[in-house]
Amino acid sequence: MKKFMLLLVCLLAVCSCAYAETDSEYVKAKGVLVVGITDFKPMDYRNEAGEWIGFDADLARAFAESIGVKVEFQEIEWNNKILELDGRNIDCVWNGMTLTSEVRAAMACSNPYCNNAQVVIVPAASAKKYDTVESIAGLNFAVEHGSAGNEQATLHGFKCTEVQDQASALMEVASGTADAAIIDSLMAAAMVGAGTGYENLTYTVSLNSEEYGVGFRKGSDLVYALNAFFEAGYADGSISKLAENYKIQAALIKQ
Amino acid sequence: MSILEVRNIRKTFGNIEVLKGITFTLEKGGVLSVIGSSGSGKTTLLRCLNFLERPDDGVITVKGEVLFDRNDPKTLHESQIRRKRLHFGLVFQSFNLFPQYTALQNVMLAPELFMKENHTWNAEKARLADEAEELFVQIGLADRMNNYPHQLSGGQQQRVAIARALIMHPDILCFDEPTSALDPELTGEVLKVIGKLSEQNTTMIIVTHEMEFARDVANQVIFMDGGVICEQGEPHELFGNPKEERTKQFLMRYNQK
Amino acid sequence: MEVIIQQLPIVIHALNIGFMQTLKLFAVTLLGAFPLGLIIAFGSLSRIKIISMTTGLFIWIIRGTPLMIQLLIVYYFPGLVLHNPIWGGGESGRFMAASVAFVINYSCYFSEIYRGGIQSVPVGQQEAGLVLGMTKKQIFFHVTLLQMIKRIVPPISNEIITLVKDTALARIIALQEIIWAGQAFMKGSYNISGAIWPLFFTAFYYLVFNGIVTVMLAGLERKLDYFR
Ligand SMILES: Nc1ncnc2c1ncn2[C@@H]1O[C@H](COP(=O)(O)OP(=O)(O)O)[C@@H](O)[C@H]1O
Ligand SMILES: [Mg+2]
Repeated sequence: MKKFMLLLVCLLAVCSCAYAETDSEYVKAKGVLVVGITDFKPMDYRNEAGEWIGFDADLARAFAESIGVKVEFQEIEWNNKILELDGRNIDCVWNGMTLTSEVRAAMACSNPYCNNAQVVIVPAASAKKYDTVESIAGLNFAVEHGSAGNEQATLHGFKCTEVQDQASALMEVASGTADAAIIDSLMAAAMVGAGTGYENLTYTVSLNSEEYGVGFRKGSDLVYALNAFFEAGYADGSISKLAENYKIQAALIKQ
Repeated sequence: MSILEVRNIRKTFGNIEVLKGITFTLEKGGVLSVIGSSGSGKTTLLRCLNFLERPDDGVITVKGEVLFDRNDPKTLHESQIRRKRLHFGLVFQSFNLFPQYTALQNVMLAPELFMKENHTWNAEKARLADEAEELFVQIGLADRMNNYPHQLSGGQQQRVAIARALIMHPDILCFDEPTSALDPELTGEVLKVIGKLSEQNTTMIIVTHEMEFARDVANQVIFMDGGVICEQGEPHELFGNPKEERTKQFLMRYNQK
Repeated sequence: MEVIIQQLPIVIHALNIGFMQTLKLFAVTLLGAFPLGLIIAFGSLSRIKIISMTTGLFIWIIRGTPLMIQLLIVYYFPGLVLHNPIWGGGESGRFMAASVAFVINYSCYFSEIYRGGIQSVPVGQQEAGLVLGMTKKQIFFHVTLLQMIKRIVPPISNEIITLVKDTALARIIALQEIIWAGQAFMKGSYNISGAIWPLFFTAFYYLVFNGIVTVMLAGLERKLDYFR
């Protein structure tokens, strides 16, 4: 019993000191910002040398530098993003993350920095046939589990299969196991059509418009630092230039 | 003076009293045959002597040293059991050779480990190997030393088991029905080895159903029945002129077979 | 086809990196679970009731819950509940957490196989050792162990083959093993997007590796054939 009490006291001590510091103090003390990402072109992906690049990756690197810490990219299982954040395995989710109500409830979110839409991916051959919301109503969809696309499918009452990530949703359409997929327009622009790995796919209908933001742990003060960083970067034009690199300048949101 | 004194050994399993007070003595160089029907407690008695079972009551004395006295806590320490066991050897009905070792390795394993423990292995290993080889000559298996148990017949395995017990130089060597698991034509070779041991004045306790052998080899016979010693005496008396009714019936049944 | 030949070196390189994680996890699990399983087996065979019962309960919990949940708990519990993320967020921390979960899980499976193996060695073997004056420890290492190993090689082989494939479960905590590496080519990294064949190509790695493991285990079985 005595040992048990001792253990409990230790636990409490550990708990309380974990909350004694602010998030930015915590990150600065360890000297790295661990950025949770998934492999998601054009926001976070590997170049041929295997390094992480992309609009988000480059921006995150610059932000970390601005607060004086190193950056570390960590691929995560997207379904576990909140566990990863709250368990302090990562410090933020910065991965073209749509600011859904669920995300806003679970994280401290930055100001939106990029416009996005959920678009419908179909085989290029049948693009003409499926260019309105009505025409696609009877199709079988593939969507990423828990994604904004998933939300749209539910909203429109589409029949859909939930898969692990957006890339898998594309694969379902390419292999014919689904008629259509719903993914982010920014990703669609980079991943389907002529000159990409999915030449026979294209995107047609936009189902909504939405915004990307960066998620921190609830109550984190790093949000303010990032918002200020966005503002400054937008004002001096550096963010726009970065966006041009990855051909997403049209989607950028004024800070 | 007797080499072994057993007094009032009792053993109960659950609520069955298997040994109900066994008392006997054995002279140095003597051979004691134990006969009796199945279930009469013969195996249990040997297991008690070898400390595989702990008696619920009684005293065991070897060469004047009290190895076990139920009423003397000093004799009950676990830590002493190993040393006390070495006064006895036991040859099992089912041989129990170690299958992964050759016949020679089976014989050498225990003394080798013992010597290594006492750091005398290097000094004694040549002597031990010689002794093991002599034993193999004695049991007539000099040419089979390097065979594995499964390559030997039952009779050959039992002879190796005897050599394995002998190399530890027990004061008293016990046999529990050493030929019962053997085909009839193989019992002779094992009994011959035991017979030779008695000629060399090895002190032995032999539980057996081979009545003729029991009579020829022993200088004392015990007939056990229902956990007690029913009759005890010299072989020619017990076999030739049994006094107890139960002994007569038991021997009659065997003679008919 | 041409495209595939062009992509092949990049894919093979990335798959090799992923496969190293698979191999490392496999090796660490075996190295940890072989001895720990034995300790747990002794626990469950203990004559001290409280030890055998606690061990039994532990084995029941571990074998009764999916390895995937155990991975999630081992990795996230310290940070989420104890507010002390001992593993850290990096790949090496994930690897350590995965190793811990795998070692514990496989130890319990191994312990049951060991227990069966120990119990299947006839008591006569132990008693023969005892009457020759051997200690319990000497009897275990010099008499029982090899007979037990001979008996457990077939069931352990099964577990080992399963382990090769089970390592893929570690992706739930984002350990980047070979399947994870294979999927990257669907996502646009390394300037390759929508390439599905690398994912299926990973099966080839498993197949070859399992082939090698199977041959080695069959060799061990043959080596122990010299006695019965
Ligand atoms: N470990 C044990 N537990 C319970 N009963 C036992 C045990 N060992 C022996 N017995 C019983 O004790 C009696 C005597 O057995 P045993 O000594 O083997 O006789 P014998 O060797 O003369 O045939 C038998 O009834 C047997 O069932
Ligand atoms: Mg018997």
